[in-house]
Amino acid sequence: MRNLILEKIAIIYLRAILIVSVWLLLRGHNEPGGGFIAGIIASTGFILYAIVYGSTAVEKTLRYNTRNWIGSGLLIILIAVVLPLIWGKPAMTSIWMTLPDSISSYVHIGTPLLFDIGVYVAVIGIILSIIITIMDVLKWNS
Amino acid sequence: MGNILLLLIGLLFLVGVLVPFIYPVLKKRTGVVLSVLPLVIFIVLLLELLSIGSRESIILDSTWGFLSGMEFSYRLDGLSIIFGLLISGIGFLILLFSSYYMAKYDRQPHFYTYLTLFMGAMTGLVFADNLFVLFVFWELTSVASFFLIGFDHHLEKSRQASLQALLITAFGGLCLLFAIILTGNITGTYRISELINYSIHLGNHPHYYLILSLVLLAAITKSAQFPFHFWLPGAMQAPTPISAYLHSATMVNAGVFLLLRLYPVIGGTVAWKYLLILTGGITMFLGAFLSMGQRDLKRILAFTTISALGTMVLLIGIDTPNSIKAAIVFFIVHGLYKGGLFMIAGIIDKSTGSRDIYELNGLFRGIPVTAIAALLAVISMAGLPPMLGFVGKELVYEAQIQAPGISWIVLPLGVGANILMVAVSITVFYELFVFNKNKPATKFKYHERQFPVTFLAGAVLLAILGLGLGMSPRFLENILSNALYYIQGHSMEIKLRLWHGFNQVLMLSIFTIFCGVAIFLFRKPVNRVISTFINWLDRYHLPTLFTSVINYYIYLASKNTRRIQHGYHRFYLLTFFLVTIALISLQQFRITEVTLPESGFSPVKWHVALLLFIASLSVIFAVFAKTRLSAILAMGVIGYGIGMLYLFYGAVDLAITQFLVETIIMIVFVMVIYYLPRFAILSSKTSRIRDGIISIAVGAFVTLIVLKAQLIKPDSRVSDFFVENSYTLAHGKNIINTILIDFRSLDTLGEMVVITMAAAGVFSLFRFQIQRLKKKEEKKE
Repeated sequence: MRNLILEKIAIIYLRAILIVSVWLLLRGHNEPGGGFIAGIIASTGFILYAIVYGSTAVEKTLRYNTRNWIGSGLLIILIAVVLPLIWGKPAMTSIWMTLPDSISSYVHIGTPLLFDIGVYVAVIGIILSIIITIMDVLKWNS
Repeated sequence: MGNILLLLIGLLFLVGVLVPFIYPVLKKRTGVVLSVLPLVIFIVLLLELLSIGSRESIILDSTWGFLSGMEFSYRLDGLSIIFGLLISGIGFLILLFSSYYMAKYDRQPHFYTYLTLFMGAMTGLVFADNLFVLFVFWELTSVASFFLIGFDHHLEKSRQASLQALLITAFGGLCLLFAIILTGNITGTYRISELINYSIHLGNHPHYYLILSLVLLAAITKSAQFPFHFWLPGAMQAPTPISAYLHSATMVNAGVFLLLRLYPVIGGTVAWKYLLILTGGITMFLGAFLSMGQRDLKRILAFTTISALGTMVLLIGIDTPNSIKAAIVFFIVHGLYKGGLFMIAGIIDKSTGSRDIYELNGLFRGIPVTAIAALLAVISMAGLPPMLGFVGKELVYEAQIQAPGISWIVLPLGVGANILMVAVSITVFYELFVFNKNKPATKFKYHERQFPVTFLAGAVLLAILGLGLGMSPRFLENILSNALYYIQGHSMEIKLRLWHGFNQVLMLSIFTIFCGVAIFLFRKPVNRVISTFINWLDRYHLPTLFTSVINYYIYLASKNTRRIQHGYHRFYLLTFFLVTIALISLQQFRITEVTLPESGFSPVKWHVALLLFIASLSVIFAVFAKTRLSAILAMGVIGYGIGMLYLFYGAVDLAITQFLVETIIMIVFVMVIYYLPRFAILSSKTSRIRDGIISIAVGAFVTLIVLKAQLIKPDSRVSDFFVENSYTLAHGKNIINTILIDFRSLDTLGEMVVITMAAAGVFSLFRFQIQRLKKKEEKKE
């Protein structure tokens, strides 16, 4: 049985929650938020979507399978870790871009932000991978 | 010039990694094309050899490194140039050789990858000036050797031999790592060129004997010295080009190289001398002796290699300028003839399909050019003029005669080993190439003219080189005196001559040849004696002993794993909680300094009290719940309550995380709850009481420690640091977040990897079930 209202809500919720999660990710440096929290929040949107539309549909919206998401998240983290080596600094040193005041008062761009983005992507991948696998085993892929 | 060399070494690694992409383009020509690289290195080194002064070394410093103190710095001096020349020169010939030899093998890209990477690692090893860099390359050669010995990995023998070689050489590598760390801690530097200044300091240090024994272990495992020699005959499972390159001419010499390299740092003491003489002497004689009783040409060569390595170690142990000189010359001699002989073994294997010297007969007809090369190589091995082998052996004898105080034991051992070498050399050549009426004639699969030039070039060129250097050994004088200057610390004039008068040494040589020929003539009775001895030795067969030790270790490990990982979730939890109680109570007793806050405790706020009341109610509800769903919901209420508590006390980040995690857990629980078996009480009353006591105890102890934590003044330096530097260094006002992704990002990285593992675990646990479900559905359709 299809539930039209729930389906619409799931889509709207997913879009809204993605925007919120990106906002949380970016503001995380100065106020509560950050990659981990943003990742979990974004994945709740996908979970609702998966419950309504089934696990195959959510894999389609993700474009790549969840393992690829985990991998790319870890890869982004790794890049953020080794990037300082190019400037001859030890790995994991933070490197910041100097930006005009109008932007830097809102967000600083540097390797820690990249690291945070990596955490965000990996967390989405990990949570969805666990949830989708369980759904597949229980045959929830309606 | 030196910078070009570094570039070339780097290029070797790059090309090695890229071989899988190069191979589809070049196909059969891969080996020939790849061989250009070592050839270029050889030429560069040759130019360096001609231009370098006798007291000159070039140190190339790259400021780049993984960590401070681990800079990739390189050093060109006599020793490294000699080793580098042999590695690159023989490497060039081996690549040519393998382009034909390996043509019918599968997985050729793998072969060339390993071989090229090995070449890069070995070249890096001999030029490294930093001990850590040396160690990295040292381990890389072990790993490459592991893959190459086990190249025919469908054979159990190969897998076993490669594992054995890896375990032994990697054990040596670990010893080397410890030695390096100890040395670095004592002196504060890892640079060999700087360590030389600390040699007296190191020699008097209480840890000297530890460092010495660790370094010696590394060297004797790598160079297959007694009692670790047995991995080398096993390593003959590798394809012949590999045996020729890794297990005779280059990798096994890394131990000898290490001893020579570290001689100015830790060498020259009494312990050093006698340990090296002991192991080297035994290995030298044992190798030569065991080589007599073998049938397989490659095994014969393996045992003679062990003997030669033993000779080098012995010479380093004798520790006179002459003996060090003899060791280096002997290294060159051995690399030239042994590399050639192994390639000849490969040619014979290809053309007849056998390597058993007592089956093969009259090979001169089919492969005359090879036979001539073999004759030259064998003459060099026996140490007869006019080959370089003669020069080498004369130097060895001279060093052994002059060995201070111990020549009475060293000299007979050396002469005995050499007599056996002469006998083996003659036997091998006679059985293989001279026609014998009593044996069936060998059938040739291929004749020599059917082979490409590249296949034969290696053996022939090495034989000619041995002859040429034997005729004019003066060519080596300059580089040798440079090498000696940096090993022994004082320069000496070196004169190498093929003919150096009628003296004691020459008498010994003539005696050696006479005895060797005698043994050859009476080889049947001698072989019988040796066979009985070998049979007796086989009762204490070292490889079997080694395997059984390893198996016992694995058996113990699996037994322990079964004991710890029993698979009962409730007992895991029990262990976890009991350990927690133990640790907490320990801490309770340890911390006794408790200070009451001056202002007293702040009053309890009414909303916090309400929250705690609700949480406590839901705890009681969860314990006595009759259905699983209500228990889980109650647990959820507790979780949200804790989140609220965080919020009340200003930990917003923690609160958000707590809420979200709680939500996700609830979702997962609700998803699976209908698929769980019916809720029932199966455990007995006593076990329920036990669990109750444990859980109450955990709760009580945690509460106590939390209360106590309030009353202790913690060291606030760490948190002060974060508060002060959060904005200035990490450009963020949210301290939690700056700690997570900047100050302590290594921890976060670790956590990410851990939860990735968890996801992978869930995925792999369920994947088989998903596949099974899919198959069932397909059957239905």
